[in-house]
Amino acid sequence: MADPTAFYEAEDDDLLLASLPDPAVQSTADDFLDDGHRLDVDMAQLEMVPEDVKRFLVLFHGAILEGDLAGMAGMYEGGWNKLSQAHYSQSEWPEAELIAPLVQNDQVFLTLYRELYFRHVYAKLQPTIDDRFQSYENICELFNYLLNSEGPVPLDLPIQWLWDMLDEFVYQFQSFAQWRGNPKNKSEEELDLLAEAQQIWSCYSVLNVLYSLVQKSQINEQLQAEKEGKSPEEVAEIAGEYGSKPLYRNLGYFSLICLLRVHVLLGDPTLALQTMENVELGGAAFLTRITACHVTTYYHVGCAYMALGRWPDAIKTFVSVLVFFIRMKQYHTRSYQYGSITKTCERMYALLAICTTLSPGPSDESIMSIVKEHYGDQLAILQRGGPESVETFKELYLSACPRYLSVNPPPYEDPAALESFVPQDATQRHLDLFLSDVAAVSSAPSTRNLLKLYTSIDAAKLAAFMQADSDNAEEEVLQQLMLLKASSRTYARQEGTLLDGDRIVTNNLDFTIEKSMVHVEETTTHRRTAGFFIRNAEHAQRVFNTIRASPLPIQSRPRQPGQQQQQQREQKDQPNGNGPAKSGGGAWQPKRRVQIAA
Amino acid sequence: MSQVTPLTHLKAWHSPESRTDVIQELIHGVDRYNPSNLSWMEEYLGTQVQTGEYDLFANLAILKLYQFNPQLSNPDVIINILIKALSATVHGPDFNLCLSLLREPATILSEIETEDQSLGLVMPLLQNMHELSRTCQFTAFWKEFNSESEASQLLRNTYVPQHANLIESLRNIFAASISSCFSAIPLVRLQRWLDIPAGEIHAWCSNVGWNVDGEVAAIPKNGDNDVKAGVVKEHVELSQLTKLVAAAAY
Repeated sequence: MADPTAFYEAEDDDLLLASLPDPAVQSTADDFLDDGHRLDVDMAQLEMVPEDVKRFLVLFHGAILEGDLAGMAGMYEGGWNKLSQAHYSQSEWPEAELIAPLVQNDQVFLTLYRELYFRHVYAKLQPTIDDRFQSYENICELFNYLLNSEGPVPLDLPIQWLWDMLDEFVYQFQSFAQWRGNPKNKSEEELDLLAEAQQIWSCYSVLNVLYSLVQKSQINEQLQAEKEGKSPEEVAEIAGEYGSKPLYRNLGYFSLICLLRVHVLLGDPTLALQTMENVELGGAAFLTRITACHVTTYYHVGCAYMALGRWPDAIKTFVSVLVFFIRMKQYHTRSYQYGSITKTCERMYALLAICTTLSPGPSDESIMSIVKEHYGDQLAILQRGGPESVETFKELYLSACPRYLSVNPPPYEDPAALESFVPQDATQRHLDLFLSDVAAVSSAPSTRNLLKLYTSIDAAKLAAFMQADSDNAEEEVLQQLMLLKASSRTYARQEGTLLDGDRIVTNNLDFTIEKSMVHVEETTTHRRTAGFFIRNAEHAQRVFNTIRASPLPIQSRPRQPGQQQQQQREQKDQPNGNGPAKSGGGAWQPKRRVQIAA
Repeated sequence: MSQVTPLTHLKAWHSPESRTDVIQELIHGVDRYNPSNLSWMEEYLGTQVQTGEYDLFANLAILKLYQFNPQLSNPDVIINILIKALSATVHGPDFNLCLSLLREPATILSEIETEDQSLGLVMPLLQNMHELSRTCQFTAFWKEFNSESEASQLLRNTYVPQHANLIESLRNIFAASISSCFSAIPLVRLQRWLDIPAGEIHAWCSNVGWNVDGEVAAIPKNGDNDVKAGVVKEHVELSQLTKLVAAAAY
């Protein structure tokens, strides 16, 4: 079933048409028959749909009805993309109404189908305002069905799909908010529609959906209970009738991550991190099962840390996911999101160039070498500091920061106000805040470099070297020293929630000022070697064990079978090597004995 | 005695002890988006202003409600929140976190019907003072604070008196920056940086536990102002060696 190529073979046409259930057409008759002519037209158009697409949809529908997760996953990740490429690389998939007879007019399936349909439009084509409105209405219909049916709905979908669905939901919201943000270049019709439909893709409605999913699934309570080590039964009881269903649990979990993202986009990093307080981020966390989700989560957590000036935490976050991504890369090159994942990773390298400049210190060498490879020139300018670095900070930040959003749309309902409306660029606002952070510490690197040369120096003398204004030179130098001190202290997460942190020192060059005498102290760090030796010793041990466990080399002389077996058993029982080692194993056995004797 | 060293842990920052359970629940749930809770939150800010306590996350929740409901914005509340953030930390992100939820004063004012233009005057002043404070230009900070400009007068006459110990808090956070650098500092300089009249400096120093010796204040060691050149050696824990020891054991 998982083999998506199966959909390409158009051999069983008759079978397929035969399997198109007539009753289905009849059951849809209520909806369609009042316009018999239209039905004919639709049927004619349905004829135009390629056979493999039809067969795919019928099978896809079947898999969803049966709850066949593996089948769904195969068709969702494989078949859909292949067919998109084969038939719809330049156009939309068939309208849901058109294919309705194929799936017995199953409204739930059609809503899911439309979700994929619009996602395809956003990814491959230019969405019109109608597409934007309809995709919103469709996804709301789906969430409505999930949240407001009587009891949990009998449906389950692969986690990849659930993640993609919510991810796309936030993406379309973001895309719409950006498009709506600028009233220029909009047609009359578009302006009218925007004036009328204020609630479409509004922040409130998006947050409402995400929070509803979180609440319905009791996901926070579930995660908390799991953290406390409660048994699966207890967790299920806490989860309630909805949350204990994988569909709701997964949607709730992914909603937390989408909330993280939305809060970052709306400029509220503390709320973003607070939302994640129950979500485990470690290597074995649930979110790491889906690469796109893993990368998105860490990117936004890192960005939130940056906004809090917690550079070491941001660096740690970015590095950990980039290390993971490099290792996983080979398995993901075919995923349709591979492009956007790579783009996010590229952004994180740029942000690392920024963070490591603002908070220098040792970090993962392999990742930093990639940063240097991609952003070597910029990195050199950043590290030189001074006014010319500001432009580079700006460039890198703009290329790599999230696309921030304004909560409030332009006043489309009020044409007069709209006339005088100046679009507000939320990204510009955050850029300004970021640059003010940068400017505040811009003098630190040069002060540090100068201090490095001395063990103690008078502030007045230092002022002369720093070419400060003669008027108040000493005071200015002391200010810069205080700034240097502050920029080498920050808070870093040791344990607890993402918001927790202990005060740490981030620089090995430190100083004390006694009246106006600056005493400089530099902490040196010994090269770390133990880890290297431990790793390699353990590796050697593993190699040795493998060799010892492998069968003896081929004997030169044939032996009695019974004898051989006995010999092997003896060796097993006495691994210390006292067993009869024969010439065949001689290459290593004596060495072992010497080792033991020693 | 006042505390003039920085926080060692952020717990008190994200969940201060003064926060009540009601507020805790409000800012941790969806209720934080409900405009009808605004009066509660503003009242809580009022308490903070009167008592000198500080709860950034609750204040951000107010700004969040303003972000979603611009017509409810209250300029006085915004100014008080900014003053709280300004007087809470020199190098922390608090002030900018507030700014990132706000828009330009003119835009905020255009959404509400008011004749009062204080926000347009005071907000830029506070932003400027924040830049001076975070770059440790304390002398310039006080100059701005005490200046005769319309904005400064408005700040001093209308807003500062509402806050309990505002000047005291500002001095304390500046002193925290100073104490992490200096082991001893001339009184003259300290006076200028903290804007303390000559007659009161001795009392201030003894209140925070700094010893005055002649014209110099000695600042007690606090880990930041008594740095020693160190050598970070590598420590190997026994637990790292378990595999090796086990392999050697048989």
